[in-house]
Amino acid sequence: MAYITGVSMVNVDRHYDKGVKRLAAEASSKALEDAEPDTLDYIIVSSSFTYASDVQLDIASYIASYTGFRGVRALAVESGEASGLAAVSVAKSLIDSGLASRVLVVGVDKLSEWPTWKVYGHFSKFYDVEGEGMYSIGMGGIAGILMRLYMETFKVDRLTLAYWPALMHSNAKLNPYAMLRFAITPEKVLEAPPVADPITLLDSFPLGDGAAALVIEGSGRGNVLAELVAVESATGYPSIALPEDPLRFESLERAYQRLTQRADIKEVDVIELHDSFTIMGILELESLRLAERGKAAEAVSRGYFSLGGEGPVVNPSGGLKARGHPIGATGVYQVVEVALQLGGEFPGLKVPDSRHGLAVSVNGSGSSAYIAYLRSVG
Amino acid sequence: MAGFSAPAVWRGRTHRYRLVAGKCTSCGKLHYPPSYSCPYCGSRSMVEAELPRVGRLMSYSVVYSVPFDSKSRAPVILGLVDLGVARVISEITDASPEDVSVGMQVEAVFRRIAEDGGTGLIVYGIKFRPVKGA
Ligand SMILES: [Zn+2]
Repeated sequence: MAYITGVSMVNVDRHYDKGVKRLAAEASSKALEDAEPDTLDYIIVSSSFTYASDVQLDIASYIASYTGFRGVRALAVESGEASGLAAVSVAKSLIDSGLASRVLVVGVDKLSEWPTWKVYGHFSKFYDVEGEGMYSIGMGGIAGILMRLYMETFKVDRLTLAYWPALMHSNAKLNPYAMLRFAITPEKVLEAPPVADPITLLDSFPLGDGAAALVIEGSGRGNVLAELVAVESATGYPSIALPEDPLRFESLERAYQRLTQRADIKEVDVIELHDSFTIMGILELESLRLAERGKAAEAVSRGYFSLGGEGPVVNPSGGLKARGHPIGATGVYQVVEVALQLGGEFPGLKVPDSRHGLAVSVNGSGSSAYIAYLRSVG
Repeated sequence: MAGFSAPAVWRGRTHRYRLVAGKCTSCGKLHYPPSYSCPYCGSRSMVEAELPRVGRLMSYSVVYSVPFDSKSRAPVILGLVDLGVARVISEITDASPEDVSVGMQVEAVFRRIAEDGGTGLIVYGIKFRPVKGA
């Protein structure tokens, strides 16, 4: 058994005055407020851009000593955009195996450190650098191809797809940790400057810095927010040019199938998923069979995934779109947010009486996918 | 994209210059760029096969958010090209966004595909352009 007993988030923003270690230390120390340093067995750090930008190697050890935990076991996990959930899965393995009884997971990354053209170059490394990564795919090039293919294949118009970012912005308004806390209309999404047409700026995640931390324990005594029941993952095709149907994320379908074999999931009340771009959120909903193929955008537009809708509430945090996507930290934010929802303590849009939650993370166009299932306790 | 290494660019020259795919001797399927194993059946028994040079544009994106080295030619049109026996992601060239549409015929041409502003390294390879009169 694994329980989430402490959580913390830094608001996603351009934190020019704080470095990676400082953001990680702030999140870690708050998450550990109740824990004694010598009872911490491991720190698992999730960071992706720290490596991509040649900032610091062995980042986990430096975060550990900077935060005041010199001596603890520490290691870093890198899995591109999916790093955060990958780190949570490693931490849970340590707990399940009995090697550790209390593990801190901290995800951290900073996108505001460099000019955007450099950050765009790093984004292309989420994809195969010997394949499409050779070309100027920039931010959203591959997702742009998927979005147009989706619109052509299922005859979905651009405006229908714009309800996703509108919902994300609406959800984020109450979230004090979200980077973009203002409402937008679907029409505004279409008027925004193109990023990777048909993707506009308002279909894309903002470039911010963030850190989130959580404590996982093997014992459910004390202050338990939620149970971390299972985390599963799978690898997938290295390029959208390879699968017969590029609009299916085989990695996520397989990870979800594994998760349902591991845990009996009867219902889902709340989900935090990986909407780096509008089309990614839509395709993930369909990969999880929460909407029929080609129908997810329409379901979003009629409120199916909104608070009070028929379906599970999706991204009450505002998602990557509006909370933000500090790459290696994102998956940790998602698990923290779901845990807070299940514990009834989320400070933003609350999903009342939620008992079952999922967090979903995907790198690139599905080279890997992770999914976590959390359950409320009591 | 910045940050290419010269040996890495040199290693990929054959598949990039001649559009050479990997062909699986077990299941017969082709994939690009060539991998160590077949992405469909997992076999590691591979031969090389040149891909057809004319195909159909399945989808595309007009990319404005490009890295520094391609800033001067933004927006860049990025396409998913169906060559029948395999698909490739490539840049669409010799065309402005208004000239491009899903389903159009495109053909392979040899071009400069990237350069590294830091090292001055220039990467050549295949792009696709609209077939005239198609
Ligand atoms: Zn094969």
